[in-house]
Amino acid sequence: MATFRLQGSRVLAVDMTGDAVKAKNGSMVAYDGQMAFKKMTGGGEGIRGMVTRRVTGEQMTVMEVKGHGTCWFADRATEINLVQLHGDKLYVEASNLLCTDAGLRTGTSFTGLRGATQGNGLFTTTVEGSGQAAIISDGPAVVLRVSQQYPLTVDPGAYIAHQGNLHQSFQSGVTFRTFMGEGGGEAFQIRFEGDGLVYVQPSERATIAGDV
Amino acid sequence: MPFQEINSKMIEATVQPGTKIFSQRGAMLAYKGDVSFTPNIQGGQGGLMSMIGRRVAGEATPLMTVEGSGTVLFGHGGHHIQVIGLSGDTLYVEADRLLAFDGTLQQGTMFMGSQGGVMGMVRGQVSGQGLFTTTLKGHGAVAVMAHGGVIEVPISPQRPVHVDPQAYVAHHGDVRNKLSTALGWRDMVGRGSGEAFQLELSGSGTVYVQASEEKL
Repeated sequence: MATFRLQGSRVLAVDMTGDAVKAKNGSMVAYDGQMAFKKMTGGGEGIRGMVTRRVTGEQMTVMEVKGHGTCWFADRATEINLVQLHGDKLYVEASNLLCTDAGLRTGTSFTGLRGATQGNGLFTTTVEGSGQAAIISDGPAVVLRVSQQYPLTVDPGAYIAHQGNLHQSFQSGVTFRTFMGEGGGEAFQIRFEGDGLVYVQPSERATIAGDV
Repeated sequence: MPFQEINSKMIEATVQPGTKIFSQRGAMLAYKGDVSFTPNIQGGQGGLMSMIGRRVAGEATPLMTVEGSGTVLFGHGGHHIQVIGLSGDTLYVEADRLLAFDGTLQQGTMFMGSQGGVMGMVRGQVSGQGLFTTTLKGHGAVAVMAHGGVIEVPISPQRPVHVDPQAYVAHHGDVRNKLSTALGWRDMVGRGSGEAFQLELSGSGTVYVQASEEKL
């Protein structure tokens, strides 16, 4: 299995011995040894997955990198976070996914209203199986644990990914004051309940939620 | 070494009487002591002929001479800074990535085309960095700028290294470079993996790669 390690906080080094990884198109910065790069149509999930991605708008341009040696990946100097999966599922926006073990399955899932407030559409990408994945964030991300007693509420713009057995609901604090332009600026939030981990970045991307 | 890292985006240089530092014009953030900054119309050292050489090559980044005694803080545009130490070998770097360097280093320009024949010329065109590059030779330190952090990748005769031309920052040592293409019909119809051009570095030395595919 390919070994993922961080070199600094913004470069991912993957050591490969004949195995393969899936990575964001064009994210290779350097490699030694022998490597082959092949574009995977529609996220590498076959025709069905490709159609689903087209329909849901969770477009992902992915390449398969296979070979012997070390390959380094980076994307616009963003911070990289390693996630270990043990048969569970990771929910992440397609644009935040940098690299996954080739053995992990990717798919799409419905997110409901949360996606709409994030400006990312109503669907998100899922990664499932056992192995490693690398996700990118704008600034160093923190991992927050959610347990039965301690639910977590997150700004949709700062949310990047979550894993585990979590139930998410959408909260809106839109009141009369919001419409008068006197809102607190935190009108929309996502609440996570259950058991799992949520990855939060120290930056808020432009969202509809940020304007009210 | 006259350069000390304050944080990832700022360095402190120590200037002593009788020594010189060259830096990119306008990169001074603060200074202590009795230090003077003189704009260098020759864009470095080597006299009139090498100035003309640099002008022709398009490698003429405005430089200033820093002299006196004291300490100077340098930084530019919020870019990450990497200090590279040279012990007699040659560093190849684009002029606009140079933040500051030891006055004792020999500055020159090199025609990249001569290293890789026709492909060397193509390299310049693809990476958008021109056909010429600046060389610095001798014993001393150089501070270069990069978008995002920099990693050092060693090059050994058994293990050549391939670098994305947009992520390439600088290299030193006894290294040959050539542009390798993995262009297939898929790239022509716009379905390539996005890694069609790579810079192949072989020999022995070190290449510096930035964590981004954006130019400065």
